Amino acid sequence: MFLKKEFRIFYLILFLTAIFLLFYFSLFDKKDFQSRTMVGKEIPNLKAQSLLKDKIVSLKNIVNDEVFIVNIFASWCAPCKIEHPFLVKLNQDKIKIIGINYKDNRKNAKKFLKNYKNPYHEILIDSDGELSINLGAFGVPETFLVDKNFIIIDKKIGPIDDQFVKKASNFK
Amino acid sequence: MRYFFLLLFLLMQTISLADDVMTRSNQITKNLRCLVCDGQSVYESNSNFANDIKKYVKKEIVKNKTDDEIYNFLKRKYGESIMFNPSVTLKSIALWLVPILFFFMGIYILLRRIRG
Repeated sequence: MFLKKEFRIFYLILFLTAIFLLFYFSLFDKKDFQSRTMVGKEIPNLKAQSLLKDKIVSLKNIVNDEVFIVNIFASWCAPCKIEHPFLVKLNQDKIKIIGINYKDNRKNAKKFLKNYKNPYHEILIDSDGELSINLGAFGVPETFLVDKNFIIIDKKIGPIDDQFVKKASNFK
Repeated sequence: MRYFFLLLFLLMQTISLADDVMTRSNQITKNLRCLVCDGQSVYESNSNFANDIKKYVKKEIVKNKTDDEIYNFLKRKYGESIMFNPSVTLKSIALWLVPILFFFMGIYILLRRIRG
């Protein structure tokens, strides 16, 4: 074209090097998928049947002017058992946890809570996954950290860990 | 006999309505990406996530929601990536323009080569 041959080769090498570096460094990208779409948005006012009480409950009636956590769990979900001690720890730190019991058998869910301790302030039954869709969730377990103004400030897909507990405790 | 035909008519109406819901639901879920699967649409997948979305779409169709209303709700919850055919935005414009740019560059180079 307009460039001299040696410049053309130089630019070609530069271009190929840039492509190589792009692919090379993307190999080290964190593969853990964490969608942030709902972070920064207001949490929907979820309304459903309570697991432990015989009544319909809504999120905005349960929590009031405080940082809280919404955790999607099920008794059939193995990673939920792994994260459960962290939820118990959060509960000991006086952070209100609202559970969403995802597509579970009521009897099994109650047995799960009896066996592993109940860290939840309230549990809403999500029998058909609609509450989870409303939260923009991908599956179980999934946890949302919500501020006093009902804005989601963080979200964790998969079991929560010490890092999440620390972050939640700092926000309290 | 009159009741029999009335019942038959109602049954046929219900079947036809269910069929319409199914057809529309299939069309919509074919355009949605299963976000927990590898390259499958919600329609193709049998994962928990896909099944929840399928159920949700059917429910919304019954509530007389338009396709756009359903897509927009899911985009608000899961982002643009839930769509197999994402809309053109300021962020994604390069993805749409770069192939066209390369195409015209190719033609330009080819024409210059042919002309000597």
